[in-house]
Amino acid sequence: MKALGSVAAMTAAAILAAGCGGGPAGGGGKISDGKVVLAVLNDQSAIYADLSGKGSVEAVKMAVADYKAKYGDKAVAKTVEVLSADHQNKPDIANSKAQELYDRQRADIILDVPSSAAALAVANQAKTKKKLFMDIGAATTELEGAQCNKYTFHYGYNTYMLAYGTGDTVTKDGAKNWYIVYPDYAFGQDMQKSFTAAVKGAGGTIVKADPTPYPNDNFSTFLLKAPTLNPKPQVIGAMQAGGDLVNLVKQYNEYKLRDKGIGLAVGLMFITDIHSLGPDALAGTKFTEPWYWNADQQNRAWADKFQAKTGKRPSFAHAANYSAATQYLEAVQRGGTDGSDDVVKQLEGHKFQDVFARNASIRAEDHLLLHDVSLAQVKPSSEVKEPWDYEKILSTIPADKAFQPASPACKL
Amino acid sequence: MLQQAFNGLVGGAFYALLALGLAVIFGMLGVVNFAHGAFYMLGAFGAYILLSSFGVNFWVALIAVPLVLGLLGVLLERLLIRRLVQLDPLYNFLLTFGISLILQDLVRRQYGVQSQPYPRPSELSGSLNLGLFTYPAYQVFVLVVAVLVCAGAWVVLTRTRVGMIVRAATERPELTRALGIDVARWVTPVFGFGIALAGLAGVLAAPMRAVNPLMGGDLIIIVFAVVVIGGLGSIFGSVTAAFGIGLITALGNLYLPTISQTLVFILMAAVLLWRPAGLFGREEALT
Amino acid sequence: MILSRLAARPLLLALGLVAVLALPWLVYPPVAMDIVCWALFAIAVDLLLGFTGLLSFGHAAFWGSSAYVSGLIALHSGLPFPLAVLGGAAFAAVLAVPIGLLSVRLNGIYFAMVTLAFAQMVYFVVNQWRDLTGGENGLQGVPRELFGMDLSDPFIFYYVGLPLILLGMLVAWRIVRSPFGRVLVSIRDNPARAQALGYPVERYKLLAFVLSAALSGLAGGVFAISHGFASLHDVYWTTSGQAVMMVVLGGIGTLWGGTIGAALIVLLNDYLATAGFQEIGIVTGSIFVIIVLVFRRGVWGTARDLVQARVAARRRTTTRLRTAEE
Repeated sequence: MKALGSVAAMTAAAILAAGCGGGPAGGGGKISDGKVVLAVLNDQSAIYADLSGKGSVEAVKMAVADYKAKYGDKAVAKTVEVLSADHQNKPDIANSKAQELYDRQRADIILDVPSSAAALAVANQAKTKKKLFMDIGAATTELEGAQCNKYTFHYGYNTYMLAYGTGDTVTKDGAKNWYIVYPDYAFGQDMQKSFTAAVKGAGGTIVKADPTPYPNDNFSTFLLKAPTLNPKPQVIGAMQAGGDLVNLVKQYNEYKLRDKGIGLAVGLMFITDIHSLGPDALAGTKFTEPWYWNADQQNRAWADKFQAKTGKRPSFAHAANYSAATQYLEAVQRGGTDGSDDVVKQLEGHKFQDVFARNASIRAEDHLLLHDVSLAQVKPSSEVKEPWDYEKILSTIPADKAFQPASPACKL
Repeated sequence: MLQQAFNGLVGGAFYALLALGLAVIFGMLGVVNFAHGAFYMLGAFGAYILLSSFGVNFWVALIAVPLVLGLLGVLLERLLIRRLVQLDPLYNFLLTFGISLILQDLVRRQYGVQSQPYPRPSELSGSLNLGLFTYPAYQVFVLVVAVLVCAGAWVVLTRTRVGMIVRAATERPELTRALGIDVARWVTPVFGFGIALAGLAGVLAAPMRAVNPLMGGDLIIIVFAVVVIGGLGSIFGSVTAAFGIGLITALGNLYLPTISQTLVFILMAAVLLWRPAGLFGREEALT
Repeated sequence: MILSRLAARPLLLALGLVAVLALPWLVYPPVAMDIVCWALFAIAVDLLLGFTGLLSFGHAAFWGSSAYVSGLIALHSGLPFPLAVLGGAAFAAVLAVPIGLLSVRLNGIYFAMVTLAFAQMVYFVVNQWRDLTGGENGLQGVPRELFGMDLSDPFIFYYVGLPLILLGMLVAWRIVRSPFGRVLVSIRDNPARAQALGYPVERYKLLAFVLSAALSGLAGGVFAISHGFASLHDVYWTTSGQAVMMVVLGGIGTLWGGTIGAALIVLLNDYLATAGFQEIGIVTGSIFVIIVLVFRRGVWGTARDLVQARVAARRRTTTRLRTAEE
């Protein structure tokens, strides 16, 4: 019985190997399988569902529609298909789905993939399958660091950008003494490192940096400690995210630390967090924003289109998905093929402008997208004129300063 | 330092309300209610929904939400829990686990996973001078409510006939039944009461913690550890352990930040090694 | 009659083997691998729940810690992956000793809560020990080394990894059918009686706990090698919950029921990922509620009861006929 099974298995393996022999990776062939397939793999039912989720699938569809409208009959990719899968924020499902999307559904590129474990797993699949992967949802710099690879691009934001922009500008604006509280896991530790470097680089001092438990719903210990430190910090740099950030800010207000002359700067803030807390709870807080829907006319016009489709204002992740899909299709157009190696060649070092990415370029050394980002401040509710109108853009952090230099650990 | 200790007690207040409900439910029904964290979450959402959709303020929510959730608890007991009470308690543990998944996802479906805004009641937005230090009025209020509820429960349990029955059924179940005391008619109200307490904790949490569908999930595991430390069969023990753990985690955050998360579990292991039935539990409750 | 009943068992076994060998032809190979890994995990949990009467809600600690240890061995030593997996399973067994010592003294529901709490502790340690585990980035890039063979094709890897899983299942089956297994069942049914008969109940429970942990570790190790990484999700308490759910769905105390439960849940998760349906919690929660309320014997248990009832009915008719003839 068993012997029979293994013979059958070996035959099957042989057939399969033969089938794969043609290999979609090589250049030359125009469009593999006669169509270009973009797959959005993200979290549509767990913690990142609001930030990205189905909205990003819609954004990618908008990119495809705009591409077709732009090139019409001249489009290299005549048939473009958009697939989507929900990894439920489970890395193992992300990993299996990514393989299936590449192998069975003939996806040419996977987009989004929030949360770092899932993103790094998919990056490894992209490397093995020699297909493209543009990560938007994950913040880890590992994607362009030790675990970078030829077929993986990191698009939109990362922990360095979040920490650097805020730490540098707020320090230069006069807040020299910092008390940093960071959640005690990889993301928080990365943020703390980059933040400290940025503050010191701008001439500031870290009075103290405390790790906090994660998840945590009681930050009183640290908030009570802040005014007792010597010298007294002028700002608390909070590196928490999501629910923990909301907890921390609620309690920060509870202790009225702002009235005691201790400001708040936040490492990672999404517009959904401001919506959660209400703008008044955060009014005055500064943070780095990869993209804001109401920053200028161009963004706003796109946000209106997005709202017409989804009924919501876009987060930066939605716009980044739109931009990534657009740049991928443009690369296919320029190279005249969807062969992975050719597309990579087209993308590396490419300079461009679009609704998401200004003064943008894709760094050839590590495949990180560099683009202008903003230092934003939360408005008090008295200045909020319409739903989701929560942010004031204070300054632009130019692309070449906003991101870290290419890491020597990355060898493509 | 004193201020930190006080802040630990406030954290402990939430554990206490949840642990008290968990303990009386376990006592009367032999059920460990996994959905307790989900009801805590529903309490917070109840307050949020009342405020955002109906403009009902915090004070009304503080009374109304626990009542409604208590009724929901009564329904749950009558319709589902009751069917499984005669079986191995594991079945009810699994049932309530399933229910917590459903409740959590229903709320997520409606409101998303992002946290919802909930302001502090304006009456409590100031700070109180407590002699040695000033402290946010709202947190003092939370602590006072929790202490009053626990003290009230204690009075009911020790001074009234209902209380005696509940206590007897909780701490000496076989003996109580053997004496022919009709425990059954108190089962449903006690279950409803336990759920109402979780709802109350949720309403109290709304102004100071993130209101989202996942807020109860991790908390319930800590509360499990709390009642194991206190002794699941002991109402007094659970409440005492709750405040104690609150205190210890607050000080742990201060002095041992890297292990503060595991502190409660290390403590649990130590207690189990020393007294398997918990600090205030009875050995015979184990078998 | 007797002959046909005796033949039923090998027939069933053969059918099962065919199903396992045919699996990657029917479903996507990485998913097939997930199914058999979870199946062994569920069997390990059932060994404890169904045959010893202990509901562990913390088995993710063993599945997950073995996933990390197997991954670390494979990553840093370059040993063939089966050795790495066995190393992971051994680690899970060792980890189970202190946890088991502290928890087997407690009865059912305490036991569930305490194992859950310990598993959460393991989760925190894994999360914190970033230099070793990669924190929430996970332990990435775990190789599949076996004498230089190319195992990158998941279809081939399925057949290479499968023997480890089958070995685990065989061990579980032997345990259940051994005298040791029968003592466990008697402890489950009446601990006081077992004690009175002179069995050291706690030591038996502890041994069952350690064996179950080792088998969970075996499954978790293969899972990590198959995916090429280990992540925090492997040690999170929802993973324990999922394993218990598979057992309950398949049928508590049926041993093989867990395989059916695992197949159904893995396929359901896989389907829901692309179904455009977001209410995953509602679906899985409802499955729990429905099974516990009306379907307590699970798929396997119900099927077995149906078959046995029919056999019994047929036997009754034959006996009746024979008596009538006489």
